[in-house]
Amino acid sequence: MSLDALAFWVLAVVLVVSALAVVLSKNLFHAVLWLALALTGTAGIFLILEAEFLAAVQLLLYAGGIVTIMVFAIVVTERLVGESISQTNRRIVAGALAVAALAGIIVATIWRQPATAAAAAQTGDITRNIGHAVMTRYVLPFELLALLMLAGLMGAIYFARPDD
Amino acid sequence: MMEALTPFIAPFIVMNAVLGIVTYVTLLERKFAARMQSRIGPYRVGPHGLLQPIADAIKLMMKEDVVPTAADRPIYNLAPIVFVLPCMFIFATIPFAPGLGVADLNIGVLFFLAVSSMEIVGLFMAGWGSNNKYALLSAMRAVNQVISYDLPFIFAALTPVLLAGSLKLSDIAAAQAGGAWFIFYPVIGQLAFIAFIVSTVAAENRAPFDILEAESELVAGFRVEYSGMKFALIQLGEYAHIIGSSFLGALLFLGAWAGPGPEWLDPIWFLTKAMFMFLVVTWVRWSFVRIRVDQILALSWKALLPFTLLLLIATAIVVVWRGPGV
Repeated sequence: MSLDALAFWVLAVVLVVSALAVVLSKNLFHAVLWLALALTGTAGIFLILEAEFLAAVQLLLYAGGIVTIMVFAIVVTERLVGESISQTNRRIVAGALAVAALAGIIVATIWRQPATAAAAAQTGDITRNIGHAVMTRYVLPFELLALLMLAGLMGAIYFARPDD
Repeated sequence: MMEALTPFIAPFIVMNAVLGIVTYVTLLERKFAARMQSRIGPYRVGPHGLLQPIADAIKLMMKEDVVPTAADRPIYNLAPIVFVLPCMFIFATIPFAPGLGVADLNIGVLFFLAVSSMEIVGLFMAGWGSNNKYALLSAMRAVNQVISYDLPFIFAALTPVLLAGSLKLSDIAAAQAGGAWFIFYPVIGQLAFIAFIVSTVAAENRAPFDILEAESELVAGFRVEYSGMKFALIQLGEYAHIIGSSFLGALLFLGAWAGPGPEWLDPIWFLTKAMFMFLVVTWVRWSFVRIRVDQILALSWKALLPFTLLLLIATAIVVVWRGPGV
């Protein structure tokens, strides 16, 4: 087994275990930490695929930012107020069914694709290529996303305004 | 067998070098602070107190490891490791001289920023896991501060990236060859350097931005319940982060290893410049008083963030107009 394959399988196990732990953990704070591990593991997968830029962005945005904000939310709602949120899920069967259906769809889709022998060779610097693609061919969706984020930001400011 | 070990040799050397530097940088800071306050500083252990850091390390190793009864045990025990890992990883992409480093990634700067942003996870685990009001308050403050100062830090670090036209750290260093350091770039260089220093000090949680440590309010902040080796690990992580940021600052603005003399002096020049950055930060720390939480947030969101954003746009315009390079 090559080193890449070994790293992939280790990461795959880490990812699946941590993803399961996110939903099965009884303690919300532990769940968020498992989520941080899962997101970091995803960054590791990107690294194996030689997409360093995506790995760094994954860490910077998800593992750093979102976990920070989620942790923030938990602490504000849980300990400082003095009451904890219910962390049990009564719909575990329905959830498992939905997950199984989704997994079936994904596996079926991958099954139909012909397996490629090797990854397509990278031409040039991937970071540069992403930059060019975003600024030329995909400039419209890119700007629309920026608009969407701006709307989200203004919505947040609207909710956070002082009541008067 | 030896070939299989080759990828591990460079990280091993770099990590031990970092540990050595971090250990002795504490002595440098104590001496420097003492001089600023007309004291002598550590002097008794070894000649001129040179063995003091080793004595401190031995003391910390021999201390009893106390775990509070009400602590969230796994999180409490894991926190120092989670905290120290990113602080060590940031050295992975730094080239200490041409071709001398662990991994000169294409996205060096971005890797540094991404990994150092992970530090907050370990910090919060420590604050929460201790099950202590002071520690939790400190962690909350840390989250506030880190969210606020991440963006100015990134924008300030991106200015040299734009000027050099590359995210690769060795390219950025090479772009400053021949004395054309980015700190000398008219107007933009100096402004970006100041913004970088301010947001670095804030990202390192040092005075005047040390609200999460605030001895007079929170005792020692998120590490108040830690003792022995765990405390040592947290200290180590903190200083490693500071040293890493100093190396990054020296690389982005002070021309990295450029300096007179033969080639083998390169790493020494780089280290000297990084120590200069460290002393600037220390100088700031011992000169200013702590500012309030709301002042810290206002400084970031109302002043530093718009300022660095405008600076970045101005840099982009200049680069398009004049072409990359000084």
